[in-house]
Amino acid sequence: MVDPSLLLHGFGTVLSGYNLVALVLGSFFGIIIGAIPGLTATMGIAILVPFTFGMTPITGIVMLLGIYTGAIYGGGIASILIKTPGTPAAAATVFDGYPMAQAGLAGKAIGIATISSGIGGTFTALGLAFFAPILANFALRFSAPEYFALAVFGLAVTITLSGRSPVKGVISGLLGLLLAMIGLDPMGGFQRFTFGFAELTGGLSFVPMLIGLFALSEGFRQVEIILTAPRVSATLKNILPTLKDLKECLPAYLRACPIGLIVGITPAIGADTAAFLSYAETKRASKKPESFGKGNPAGVAAAQCGENASTGGDVLPMITLGIPGDAATAVLMGALTIHNLQPGPMLFQAHPEVVHQIFAGMISANVVFVILGLIFARFFAQVINLDRKYLVPLIFITCMVGSYAINNVLYDLATCAIFGFLGYLMIRYDYPVAPMVLAQILGSMMESNYRRAVVMFHGDVTLFFTRPIALTILALAAFTTFVAVRRQRQALKQEAAQLAALEESSSQ
Amino acid sequence: MLPDLGNPAWIPRGVAVLLFGAALLLLGKALTGRSLTLPGRLVGADRARVLWVAALTGVYVVIIERLGFMTATAPYLFGFCLALGERRWTRLILFSVVVPVATYLVFDRALNVPLPRGLFR
Repeated sequence: MVDPSLLLHGFGTVLSGYNLVALVLGSFFGIIIGAIPGLTATMGIAILVPFTFGMTPITGIVMLLGIYTGAIYGGGIASILIKTPGTPAAAATVFDGYPMAQAGLAGKAIGIATISSGIGGTFTALGLAFFAPILANFALRFSAPEYFALAVFGLAVTITLSGRSPVKGVISGLLGLLLAMIGLDPMGGFQRFTFGFAELTGGLSFVPMLIGLFALSEGFRQVEIILTAPRVSATLKNILPTLKDLKECLPAYLRACPIGLIVGITPAIGADTAAFLSYAETKRASKKPESFGKGNPAGVAAAQCGENASTGGDVLPMITLGIPGDAATAVLMGALTIHNLQPGPMLFQAHPEVVHQIFAGMISANVVFVILGLIFARFFAQVINLDRKYLVPLIFITCMVGSYAINNVLYDLATCAIFGFLGYLMIRYDYPVAPMVLAQILGSMMESNYRRAVVMFHGDVTLFFTRPIALTILALAAFTTFVAVRRQRQALKQEAAQLAALEESSSQ
Repeated sequence: MLPDLGNPAWIPRGVAVLLFGAALLLLGKALTGRSLTLPGRLVGADRARVLWVAALTGVYVVIIERLGFMTATAPYLFGFCLALGERRWTRLILFSVVVPVATYLVFDRALNVPLPRGLFR
């Protein structure tokens, strides 16, 4: 269970001095990144990780948590004002947010979106604080076979549920596994795939690669679509919602909060699914479902609340088991590791005060972005109009300088640039990038625990089917793969039907 | 018959075999028309822009340590913004000069992260 005294102490640490400044700055930049279409929370964290190197671990972590939660919220601003989600997770906010803006209620929509995001995020952060110690305690029973099974489950879910094509997800994940094997063999210390380069003995530089795959690749994408970004022209009035407005959104919060938390806990299913599910469920249960999609504030509330309610769930498997919940938490995990904090059940044993500071940081971050979002709503609205011809080069420079700043070697800069272009090609040709990154983290975990398990049990591979926890997790992995293959077949059928309908209407 | 699990090549080989199999599966789906549709080809100005920026970035990575951060970044930013269609020369020059200087001050001075000195070593 969470320790109340440690949690109070955590709040005291997070809300004082440099930590508070870092949290506010992180939230501020996170909202800006989320508000600008094309920039994602993952990208924001990846770009700003190097800035945290000179900070103490907790200062760096609260800054990144501020960016994470702020960016997830910020995506709703562009959804409401220009019908273009600032982040993929904010797509559901468009349905009712943009009609509200068209009716002259842009300010009210943003106010409701802000407070709804804060409610969802705070709920899930409290959920994280409650469930994480329980799960971490349970995970102490895990040995090598269970960690191998967890890694396989994480890989199966990540590979098959990312993107539209499970086969392309598998290829992306397997490439990530191969990249994870560059360097020294974990058991025997042999060099693998280094091709004589001394720089590769320690493996690929993880953070520059992350920055390249998640941030620079999006930068290249922005170069491709640079001329088509829409502009904001709405003025914002009456931003602060009334109590009556919030009371009308209460049914949405009661559904979106638990949906977001549960969806967030499932690896590879992120904020966008949480937002859509929350919206759909709120609409279904509403007395006036026909009003959804035409400017119903409850629609905005459900989408934004569900979206931010997934953040705690995404952090939960990362911090308790060392398995990232999505791409953003994979980058957060990389940042924690750089600050010598290895996520997993041992973190709770070795550094319980840090864990409670992270809980306090998550809760505080959700309050901070609400305050910033309400006060600076008009500023964030104008940020969307930033000239891309200057913003995109700035992103490139920040990525490359950030990569270089890690070890001051050209190798890291080159890694970032190469993986940036590779990531862009992957995005362009529909290969999901997240499996490649998550496979690198989970691949090392999978291989070392498999080999350790086989040595521990003297070559008996049936142990994975006789230990109940490991068997259950492997069965879940198989079930998830089956669901993903079925989902792709349905998507293919739908796409074929749509194409046929288009051809028929164009021939008439 | 179990593979030699002490051999560090076993798992990489297994991954390579799976990768080959997945690639064949994808090829088979594409040839039999069962794959999802792809986005259109990158052509014309869009393609030129992306390739130009990629080439500029490659050159930047090669020259940054030799020339130094500020000396390499200024022309890089200038060329980058030109590639994106910026033709307001005053703004362009200001941007190309101010950003490297500001970045140097933030990283090298404020955060104590040394950037390549190059010609100014």
